[in-house]
Amino acid sequence: MFESVQQVLEKLSKEHYIADKNIATVVYLADKLQKPVLVEGPAGVGKTELAKVVAHATGRRMIRLQCYEGLDEAKALYEWEYSKQLLYTQILKEKFTEKMAGAASLRDAAEKVGEEDSVFFSHHFIVPRPLLNAITSEEPQLLLIDEVDKSDPEFEAFLLEVLSDFQVTVPELGTIHAKQRPLVFLTSNNAREMSDALKRRCLHLYIDYPSQELEARILETKVPGVGAQLIQDVVTMMHRLRQLDLKKTPSISETLDWARALLALNASDLDEEIVNQTFNVILKYEGDVRKAQAELDKLLQKKAGEAAAKAPGAAPTPAATKKGALH
Amino acid sequence: MEKKILEFANILRKSGIRVSTAETIDSFVALEELSLEDREIFKDALRTTMVKRGEEIATYDHLFDLFWSGFYDNLRESFGQATGGLAEMGIDMEDLLRAIAQLLQSGNAESGDLSDLARALLTTDLSQLENLIRMAAEQAGTSRIENFLQVGFFSRRTLEQMGLEGAADQLRELADRLEQAGMSPEQIQALRNLIDRLLEAVRRSVRAYTERELQKQNHDYMEKFRRETLLEKSFYHLTEDEIRKMREVVERLAQRIKNILSIRKRRLKRGKLDLHQTLRRNMSHGGIPFELIFKQRKKDRPKLVILTDVSSSVANVSRFMLQFVYTLQEAFTKIRSFVFVAELGEVTPLFQEKDISDAIEAALEGGDAINVYTRSNFGYAFHHFWQNFLSAIDNKTTVLILGDARNNYNDPRAWCLRDIHNKAKNVVWLNPENPSAWGFGDSVMDKYLPYCDVAEECRNLRQLSKIVDTLLL
Repeated sequence: MFESVQQVLEKLSKEHYIADKNIATVVYLADKLQKPVLVEGPAGVGKTELAKVVAHATGRRMIRLQCYEGLDEAKALYEWEYSKQLLYTQILKEKFTEKMAGAASLRDAAEKVGEEDSVFFSHHFIVPRPLLNAITSEEPQLLLIDEVDKSDPEFEAFLLEVLSDFQVTVPELGTIHAKQRPLVFLTSNNAREMSDALKRRCLHLYIDYPSQELEARILETKVPGVGAQLIQDVVTMMHRLRQLDLKKTPSISETLDWARALLALNASDLDEEIVNQTFNVILKYEGDVRKAQAELDKLLQKKAGEAAAKAPGAAPTPAATKKGALH
Repeated sequence: MEKKILEFANILRKSGIRVSTAETIDSFVALEELSLEDREIFKDALRTTMVKRGEEIATYDHLFDLFWSGFYDNLRESFGQATGGLAEMGIDMEDLLRAIAQLLQSGNAESGDLSDLARALLTTDLSQLENLIRMAAEQAGTSRIENFLQVGFFSRRTLEQMGLEGAADQLRELADRLEQAGMSPEQIQALRNLIDRLLEAVRRSVRAYTERELQKQNHDYMEKFRRETLLEKSFYHLTEDEIRKMREVVERLAQRIKNILSIRKRRLKRGKLDLHQTLRRNMSHGGIPFELIFKQRKKDRPKLVILTDVSSSVANVSRFMLQFVYTLQEAFTKIRSFVFVAELGEVTPLFQEKDISDAIEAALEGGDAINVYTRSNFGYAFHHFWQNFLSAIDNKTTVLILGDARNNYNDPRAWCLRDIHNKAKNVVWLNPENPSAWGFGDSVMDKYLPYCDVAEECRNLRQLSKIVDTLLL
C-alpha cells in the first residue's frame, strides 16, 4: 500500500492533508504491522480527518462506527432480525405442520423442529453492523471507530477480540475470521482513559496542535486565496491564544473557520475591528473572549510597532505600511 | 541493537512508563520495516509502539535524547578541546602523530607493548574509545548508580577497569623512548603535553558518561519525590507555589473520580422482557409478539449534599475541598453545595456559573450568602440547615461534611445532625484534625461522631484520595 514513510507524506498531502513525519511514520507502520492505530489529541486537530484521508489515499472504503454511551454489540456488530424471523415462522406455519405430521410423539416433533433451527439462525436473518461489515468484506476496508472514549468499558473489552485477531464470535454461527484485514483507526478525546489492554494492541499516535510553520501550510492548502500576511497573523494569534488558560482552546478547525470568515470579509491582515467582529468564530465562551482580549491588544500593538519600524519615512501611506509589514 | 532497545524499554519502565513485552516485540517488528537512517523516524517508531499516553511523551522525548544521543558527540567534543589546544601552541597535531607512527613502525616490537587504550588514545580513535569506556562502565556496574554522591566512585571504578594508569605509564614511557630515538625537544614537549591532555579528556569523558547514566536511571526521581511529599504534606502548611502545584494534583485526582463515576453512571442496560407491555403492544398483531418491550433498569443516581466549613482556621483545607466539590459538581447532576461559618448559605448556583478559581474565591468569601467574618458555630449552621434544607435530603443522599468541628464553645446542637443522619443514606465527615484531638478543647467532634456513618481524618491529598476511593465510589 505504501512503500516508505516519504510516500505516505506525499500521498496524504495530495489529499490536502498536511502531516508531519510522526503521523506518516505511524500510518506506514499501521499498514506494515497490520495493527490498529489509537489516535489521541485535543479536539479538532484532524484525528477523524486523518482516517478519512488515509481511506481515500489508499482507495479503501471507510466504515465508520461512531461510539456513544450505551453503544452495545447489537448496534456495533450484528443483530438478529427478530421480526423477519417471526414473519417467516408465520408464513411457513403450514410447512411446519406438514413436516411434523409424521411425528408420533411430542418428543419427535421437538426433534424435528430442532433439525430446522439452523434455518432461522443463519446469515439470512442477521443484520450486519459496522464491525461485522468490516470483517466480512471481500475488499480491504478502513474501519474508523470514532470517539472510542465515549463508549462503555464493556464495549471496549469486546473490541479487544476484534482488534487483536480481527475475528468476531457469533454464538449461533461460530467465529468469523476477517477475509481481508481492515486498517483500523480509533480516535479518542481522552474523556476517559482507555484500558491498558486496548492500548497494548494498538499503535499510539498523539496529534498535538501543529507548529506555527505546519499550521501555516495547512491554512495555505485548506483555504486557498488567503494572503501570506493574513496567514502569518492568524497563525501567530492562534498560537498565542493556545498559551492562555482558556476553557475551550481553539484548534485547527477553528483556525480554518476563522481564516474562511476573514476571507469572506475581505481582510488582508488583522486589525482590531475585524478581530472583534470575528472573535466568536474561534472562542466559544464569553469568559475566554475576555481573557483573549488583552492578548490581542498586545499583539496588535506589537504589529503596529513593527510596521512603523519597517516602513520609516515621513507619513507613509497606509498601503506602504501594509507592504512593509509583509516582510 | 535488540539488546539496546530492551535496555531502553527498561529505562522507560523505571521512569514510570508502562512498556509490556508485547510492545517491545512490536517495536522490533516496526524497526524491521523501516530504514534506520532517519533518526526522527526511528524515534517515532519506538514511541508509537511503546508509549501509549499523551502525558508520557515529554518524558519519552527526554529519555530518548539521553539514551540514543551519541555519547560519541560528547567524546568528540572533549577530545577536540584536548587536541585543539595544541594548534594554538603552534604545533601541528598531524605532523606529530605522523612522526610517532613512523617511529612506532620502525620499532615494531615496542608498539606491541601498548594497551588498547593507549593505542586508541594515540590515534584518537574515538569509536574504539567509546567502546572501551562502555565496556569498563559495564564491568564497574555503573548502571546500578543511584545518586549523585556515587558519581565519583563509579567514575573511578570505570577508570580502573579501563586501566588508565597503566596506559598513562606506557605513554610516558613511549615519550621517553622517542626522546632517546632522537625526536626534537619541541616535539617531545608537545607530545608530553598532548598525553596529559588526552588523559584528562578520558577522565572527563568517563565522568560525563557516569553522570549520564545517573540521569538515565533517575530521570523521574526528583519529580516523583516532589509529588510524593506533596501528597503527604498537610494542607495547613503550604506555600503559594505549592498551592499552585497542589491544584494540579487535585485536578488529576478529581478527574479520575469523574472518570470512574461516569463509567458507573452509564450502566444503563436492557433489563428483562416486560411481558405485560409486550402483550399489550402486540394486540394489533393478533397476539404474535413482533415487538418486544424490555424493562428499563433504573439507574441509581447518588445524590450528594456537601457542607463545607470556610472559616479562616481551615481556609487552606477548605480551598482544596472546594476545588474538589467543584469538580464533583461537574460530574454529578444532583449535588448541592453549602458553605458555612456560623451562617449557612448555598453556593450551588455559584459553582455552576463561574470558573473554578473565581467560584472558589467567591465561596471562601461566603458567596454573598453568608458572613465569613464570624466565629465558627457548627451548631448554628446545622440548625439553619435543619430548618431550611432538610427537605433536600432523602434516603439516596450522601451528606458530606468538611470541617474541624471547633465550635468555639457554642451549643453543638447535635440533634440536628441526628435528624439529618436519620433521613440521609450516609453522613460522611472529613476532619482535617487528627482523631486524637477530636473532643478536646473546643472540638465537639465527639458529640457529632455518633451520627456520622464515616468520620475520617483528611489532612493531606493521600488521605483524601484514599477516602474518595473507599467512600464515594
